Parts: sequence; C-alpha cells; structure tokens
Amino acid sequence: MYQHQGEDVFVIDGHIHMWDASEENIKHRGGEQFIQCFYDYHTAFTPEERQRGMDDYRKFTPEDVKRDLFTNYVDMGVYQPTHLHEFYTEGFNTVDDLGETLYQEYPDRFVLNGRWDPRDGEAGLKELERQKEEYDIKGAKVYTAEWKGDSKGWRLDSDEAFEFLQKCADLGVKNIHPHKGPTIRPLNKDAFDVADVDLAASSFPELNFIVEHVGLPRLDDFCWIATQEPNVYGGIAVAAPMALSRPKKFSEIMCELLYWLGEDQLTFGSDYGIWDPDWVIEAVMETELSADQHAEYGVEFGLEAKKKLMGENIAELYDIDIEERKKAFRTDAISEEFGLGDSYDTAAPADD
Amino acid sequence: MSHTATPNRPGSAGLHERIRARLDRVTDPELDESILELGYVDAIEINERTATLRFTLPTAWCSPAFAWMMAVDARDELESLPEIDQATIELRDHMHEQEINEGVNDRLPFADAFPDADGEVRSVRATLDDKARLSRQYVAVERLLAAGLSAEQITALTPADLRFDRDVDPRMEGARAAIAVGDGAFSVSVPARPLHRYLRKARDVGYAIEDDDPLFLTPEGEPIATEEFELVHRRGRLARTNVTGQGGVCEALNEQRREKLDRDGPVILEAN
Repeated sequence: MYQHQGEDVFVIDGHIHMWDASEENIKHRGGEQFIQCFYDYHTAFTPEERQRGMDDYRKFTPEDVKRDLFTNYVDMGVYQPTHLHEFYTEGFNTVDDLGETLYQEYPDRFVLNGRWDPRDGEAGLKELERQKEEYDIKGAKVYTAEWKGDSKGWRLDSDEAFEFLQKCADLGVKNIHPHKGPTIRPLNKDAFDVADVDLAASSFPELNFIVEHVGLPRLDDFCWIATQEPNVYGGIAVAAPMALSRPKKFSEIMCELLYWLGEDQLTFGSDYGIWDPDWVIEAVMETELSADQHAEYGVEFGLEAKKKLMGENIAELYDIDIEERKKAFRTDAISEEFGLGDSYDTAAPADD
Repeated sequence: MSHTATPNRPGSAGLHERIRARLDRVTDPELDESILELGYVDAIEINERTATLRFTLPTAWCSPAFAWMMAVDARDELESLPEIDQATIELRDHMHEQEINEGVNDRLPFADAFPDADGEVRSVRATLDDKARLSRQYVAVERLLAAGLSAEQITALTPADLRFDRDVDPRMEGARAAIAVGDGAFSVSVPARPLHRYLRKARDVGYAIEDDDPLFLTPEGEPIATEEFELVHRRGRLARTNVTGQGGVCEALNEQRREKLDRDGPVILEAN
C-alpha cells in the first residue's frame, strides 16, 4: 500500500488494461497505428529509465499485469475493456481477456468492467446480459470512437445507446465509463465530443457517468456539463502523467476539476499499460498547489482530497469497503506472492 | 529559434520578419497557438517568388482535419505576401500526408481530398475558433482587471472604446492599446497584443464587428450582465486551461518526436 507522509493511501487504479497488439493479432493497419500511437504517449511521458521497448509493449500477459500493478503501489485495479475487433483478430483488450484469467484467481483485487456498443443491436444486449451473468459486472466501459463497418463512431445520446443504458440500469450495471480523450481518430468527425454525456446523464439519474480522460481536450465542455449533472464524474487518466513532466499544467487541470466538480467526483487512473502506475501515483501524490493557485481557485488538494482521488471515490461507486479489503489483503495470495502483507497490517485501524 | 541571416541581400531580412509575422497567425486550431511557437515548422525555403513550408506534427495520427487547416492557413498567409506568388506545403511523417499535401497544393476542398470523411472542416473550425475566442477573452480581460477596470466597466466596453497605436504593430512586445472608460472620460493603457489577439478571433467568429457591439461576450455569444461577469470569466479561465493543458500533452509528444526524427526547426532558407 502506498504511504504518504506516514499515512496509508489505498490505491484503486481506476483505469487499467491488458492488451494484445502483437503482430499476429493485428488484422487492419489501424491496429498497428493504434499501438504505435499508444507507444508515442508512453515514451513522451515515461521517465527514460522506465521506458519499455516496443516488443515488450505490444502484449501484456496476466503475469505482467499482476506484477506491474501490485508491486507498484496499486491495491486494486479497475479493468476497462477496449475491444477494437475491427483492428485486432481476437480483440485488443476484451472483457474475457481478464475475466477468464486474473479475475478468476484474484476477484477481490479487480473490478472487471463490461463493455457494450449500441451498433451491436440485439446481439449486443444479449452479450451484456452474458457479461452480467458470468462476471456480475457493475460497470461498463464505452468507446464512442470505435470503428464498426462503415461507422467511425456513435453517440451516447442516441436512441440505440439509450436502449443499452436502460439495460444497464435494469441489470444494475450502474457505472458507465465513456472514453473521452485526445483526438487521434477518426478523421474529422469528433467522436470524442463530450456533449452526448449531458443528455445521457440527465436521462439516467440512477447511473453514474465517469468520463475517462476528463474529456481532454474538451475539459471545458466536460466541466461545464459535470457541474450541472450530479452523476457525472471525471477520471484523470492521461492528465495524470503530466504531474511528472508538466507539473504546472497538471495542477492547473486539478484546480479546474476541484473547482467545478469538487473532490468527491474525481477518480484516478494510471491508464496501465500506457504507463506504469508507480511513478504516476508518486507524481500525483507529490503535487502541491501553489499559493497563487490557492488564492485564485480557492480549492485544496491536500491528503484528504488525494485519498479520495486515489481510491475512496471509486470505492464508493463500486461498493468497495476499503477497510475490509485491507484486512483481507493482509493474507491474500497476492500479498503472499509479493510479500505485501505487512503493508496492510500497519493500516489496520484500532477496533477497540 | 535559429535564423539564417542573409545580410548581402537587401530587404530579405524584412521579408523573413514578415514571414514570421504571417505564420504567427497560423495556429494549431486545438491549441490556439502559432505553429511557429509550437515548434511544428521544420523549414521555410524561399526560391525566387515561391516558398515551400515543411512541417511535422506531434504525432503521425494527429487529426487530419486539424492538419488540413494548418496547411491551408500557412499556404494562404505566405501567399498574402507581395513577394510570394506561390506557396507549397509539405506536411511530413503523417499517416495522411499524401492526401493533405496533394489536396492543399492542388487547392482541393477537404471533402475531395478525404472522400471517406463524414462532416466537414468548416464546422470543426468554427467550434474551435469559438473556444479560442473565449480563451483569448480570458487573457485580455485579465489584463484589463490588472489595469484596474471593474466588471461593470469591462462588460460595458465596445470595439469603439479600444484604440491601438497606429504606428506600432500591436502584435509586437511592448505595444500598447488605450481603453476608453466612462464614456470616454478617461483612458487606460494596456498591453496591445492580448487585446489584438482577442479581437481578431472574436471577429473571425462574427462578434464585436460594429462600433457599438459588446466587446466581450458569454460563451454562448450573449452580452455579459455585470452580475454574471465572474462566472463568465471563470469559464474563460477553464477554456484557457483546456487549451494549455492539451498543449502540455502535445508539447511532450512533439519534443519526443522531434528528438526521434532528429529534426530541429525552424529555419528560413534562401535557395539561391
């Protein structure tokens, strides 16, 4: 468990992957471009001594994921699937990739999210039911810019998407994570536009919408929507690594998020394997707002806010009892394997 | 920024200056900063009355629509100079460099160069211009607040209240502008560049055209009531943080990429 100024910080990494972009799995040139683009992001932000080689980066095995997360300050990981079947024969990072492997062995260490796409129609609704039945998913990642046939994306506020959102509400899949990140793809249609979150969130107040990557580069649109919808949250994956190499820009973004959304509406994500979690967690935890920023924004980013960001907020969304997990993790298989048990011991609060 | 001076060609240094001034107006539409400032330009080659501009973006997969806008704008700005009859644009190391270079140099519409693309460039540009307008408004209004103007005075301003010094290029460091306050009873001197940058973008979007239009507007394009000034200004700050924050992402990608490609820039070269 991560320690900050002598205090324990329980880290739930809200955005992790386990992908396969090996050459054998790529079936469309978009698949190669996609992983190359990820790699550009990897090398642009990762400290030189921590950079991976491209071969190492193409594919992550369950063993890699287990070691890379749990020996690098992460206590639990929220898996966010990205199927991309148009690009990859077996998919890039599918629900079952984790569901059939690590999730079977270590269900307490992961939140396994489902995934749906309204363009899949009836079959997609059936698949969502299967995911619920098989893994009891409580959340789903949606990727509005995914290609399918001639379509280069879809909107969350479409009739078709509403049918799936209704299904999620019926099934108790209450956390929807729309990916809204930098414009890479598609051509000129802005499928990562955040405006569609607005109507979806107000139409489904029983669901939570955790906008991944806080809409960058549409932070302004995102914050404005989030102030008006109480069930909209911001996931800071992609903004987070800037904490190391662009600390001023990161703290400005944090100020805006704290100002418009508040410290209860934010979740952390390393975006593993784009980046490894340890240095991202350290850099975010070490972030201090300047006196000018305090004066200008009137917000705090102290230990309490950081603990919420790093785990407490997302624990609430997924009904995770952190104290209970800490107790369980003192002796679970992961702690045994990596010798982590003691770190959970010190965290035990006095019961009497 | 390196610069190959050519002292034995009278007048050419002036041309270089003007090329820079022109390209200063060509922005990455998402970041609202000039392609020169952002370090995208690799070289500008001048050969008699033609110019070739080579540039590289932070990734090979940057939005082709944005790349298109930068290429078209650079071509048009260069050709607006009396010394340049024709400008050729060469986008390098981009997955759509061929479509973009051929399209822009053959003066095709975007839809012809990218028949698969749905939507068109104009509406994307309009959306981004409007965000840039708000972000620039924040910077300009900060200057006015720093100069002592009140919310009431700022929201009452019209383009007629803003005077740039005629003899100095308002984009230059140190250039000043005068703001008439209280029905012209007195005037306040402020740096010209942020006001000039704001007004140009506002006018691109279609605001602050007439002398009695409001100078500053809400994100939705309405006049600002004094009591909503604070909120509008904070939304402007947010728009500003968005572009500079995304700028941080692109800057990191760009630095790393230029290192990988071993590419410095920009240099203005004279072929003869």
